[in-house]
Amino acid sequence: MRDRNLLLEIKDLQTHFFTESGVVRAVNGVSFNVERGKTIGVLGESGCGKSVTGFSVLRLVSPPGQVVGGEILYHRMKNARSEIIDLAKLNPRGEAIRQIRGNEIAMIFQEPMTSLDPLFTIGDQLAETILVHQKMSKRSALDRSAELLDKVRLPQARDLLTKYPHQLSGGMRQRVMIAMALSGQPDLLIADEPTTALDVTTEAQILELMQSLQQEFNMAIMFITHDLGVIAEMAEEVVVMYLGQVVEKTNVASLFNEPKHPYTRALLESIPKVGEKSSGLLHTIEGMVPSPFDIPPGCPFHPRCPHFMPGICDAALPAEISLGADRSVRCVLYADQMEGDPHDKHA
Amino acid sequence: MTSTPNPATAAEHPLLEIRHLKKYYPITRGLLKRTVGYVRAVDDVSLTIPEGQTLGLVGESGSGKTTLAHTVMRGIDPTGGEVIFHDDVRGAVDVASANRETLHHVRRNMQMVFQDPFSSLNPRMTLLDIIGEPLEVNGIANGSVLQERVAELLQLVGLRPEYMRRFPHAFSGGQRQRIVIARALAVNPRLVIADEPTSALDVSIQAQTLNLLKELQERLHLSYLFISHNLGVVEHMSDRVAVMYVGRLVEVAPTHKLYQKPKHPYTEALLGSIPRPDPTHKKQRIAITGEIPNPANPPSGCHFHPRCPYAQAICSQESPPLREVTPGQFAACHFSEELNLKGVNDF
Repeated sequence: MRDRNLLLEIKDLQTHFFTESGVVRAVNGVSFNVERGKTIGVLGESGCGKSVTGFSVLRLVSPPGQVVGGEILYHRMKNARSEIIDLAKLNPRGEAIRQIRGNEIAMIFQEPMTSLDPLFTIGDQLAETILVHQKMSKRSALDRSAELLDKVRLPQARDLLTKYPHQLSGGMRQRVMIAMALSGQPDLLIADEPTTALDVTTEAQILELMQSLQQEFNMAIMFITHDLGVIAEMAEEVVVMYLGQVVEKTNVASLFNEPKHPYTRALLESIPKVGEKSSGLLHTIEGMVPSPFDIPPGCPFHPRCPHFMPGICDAALPAEISLGADRSVRCVLYADQMEGDPHDKHA
Repeated sequence: MTSTPNPATAAEHPLLEIRHLKKYYPITRGLLKRTVGYVRAVDDVSLTIPEGQTLGLVGESGSGKTTLAHTVMRGIDPTGGEVIFHDDVRGAVDVASANRETLHHVRRNMQMVFQDPFSSLNPRMTLLDIIGEPLEVNGIANGSVLQERVAELLQLVGLRPEYMRRFPHAFSGGQRQRIVIARALAVNPRLVIADEPTSALDVSIQAQTLNLLKELQERLHLSYLFISHNLGVVEHMSDRVAVMYVGRLVEVAPTHKLYQKPKHPYTEALLGSIPRPDPTHKKQRIAITGEIPNPANPPSGCHFHPRCPYAQAICSQESPPLREVTPGQFAACHFSEELNLKGVNDF
């Protein structure tokens, strides 16, 4: 009796990097689900492990990094047959993951220039992607490429096939990357900061494009970003990460209306809100993100947390506390949730 | 004194007046490097920064905002125009035409903070050398006086004086940006040009840095030219805001007016493109079409006309001058009066 809408279940994922200076636990026990056709936002600052989580799903973590534990259950539905594949158990260089990667699960990145080969035309690169997964002639692959460029609303798709990446603007390159990702009609698109390098008007266009393509292709999107504005725009569900842990899971409305975890609250308060000019100072989060080699014991946020309770927060990692159907938080403040919002007492 | 009205001629004492500043880069072709055209990176820009105030400068990549900053500092020589700095000792000095000796004196009063605190600090120098260098070069201090001054500066930006023997690699991005700010303040400048000072920083560190800049402004009565593509940050920091598009100013206005009642369609487009950290805003956004034109070959007339939803025949023929539309609000649009443009909270 599985939920038919479930596409991906990440359970206690551990991805560690074994460097000369020590082990970096970039992803340290991350669990969340992705539903079919929905967008889940993965929010966090640099070093929180959000990108490594995305890379782990596709098994693209390269040495010294390694998926060392947990499960990534992909609920595959193909030709009316459903099966569950644990991506974490697959050989990262094996045939099984290669069938999924770039086909059923695709990924786009922050910097579209580095993801395109400067020596090949757009047409060559798109056709190559198509031919890896589908049997057809080069000519029909090019036809399909032109169709895909049309889908991402690039004008004169035919002409574009003969162009090289440097002849395109940043926004156009990101559209090409999206076209490439769509070539296999993926069930899941992992988008790692896809608009961070773009200008604001271009960003708005790309976000809008992704939303309409999501409807058309009925694909799920795992949207990895540090930008709360982009999260509000794109995501339905959100996981907030800090130092390799998921500190809060919530839907997007609750994230902004009633954030629970002290980190989430602080993050929301620290951004200048456009249209609400205040002359005062911004709220800040004390200190800085600790070194990944030296993650604090217990709750990783405790050295910066305004609600730090010595002997409790630094002793053990707080359990994931469920706050209703689709919400949970890792913070001892909510251990007795029935009592109401403990922050009010502190404030 | 020029007769043309200078936007942002607020009644306050002007510290810096930029008048008709131009920076053209020749485009050369062939073996003989024949000049076939110009990139008008900064095209007839006039701005005023009053004492103790912040002028925000926004624009997308390629709009010329960084070139403007470098030209103001005379890091690059302008093609034309004046940059009048009102110096305590020497009176009004035109930085654009000043000789070496005058420039040396004036530059002490104008300092710059760059985007990337990783590449703007020499990894082989200690903080003492980095922050002390401008003091030594300008003959302000040496020996134990220098050390005292460096300690004082470190405290001013919220770092411990003991850190002065350390090297930049020991510090995080936010701390490095503080070091950069300390170096800029070493010579007691009156004007600080901050070019995307928080773009490379995480959200939680951004708030700390913005607060620091605001506190320093209060304490030291600094004026800022604050350059950023982040409209939320610019709104938070600025008294007035200037918007650039392909080398030209399209609008200059007090912050509140510009965000609530913009008078140029490009400003409206920018405001409408911001991803808002508020999920209820989701569906009302309108994205403008097209991309920023190539500055080597900008559209005729108003540079924005091919993307402008309100464009009419005249827009492609005549370039609209920047003129005062409402008191203190300058816009370069033929139809500023007729159009009822949306402010940031109307989307």
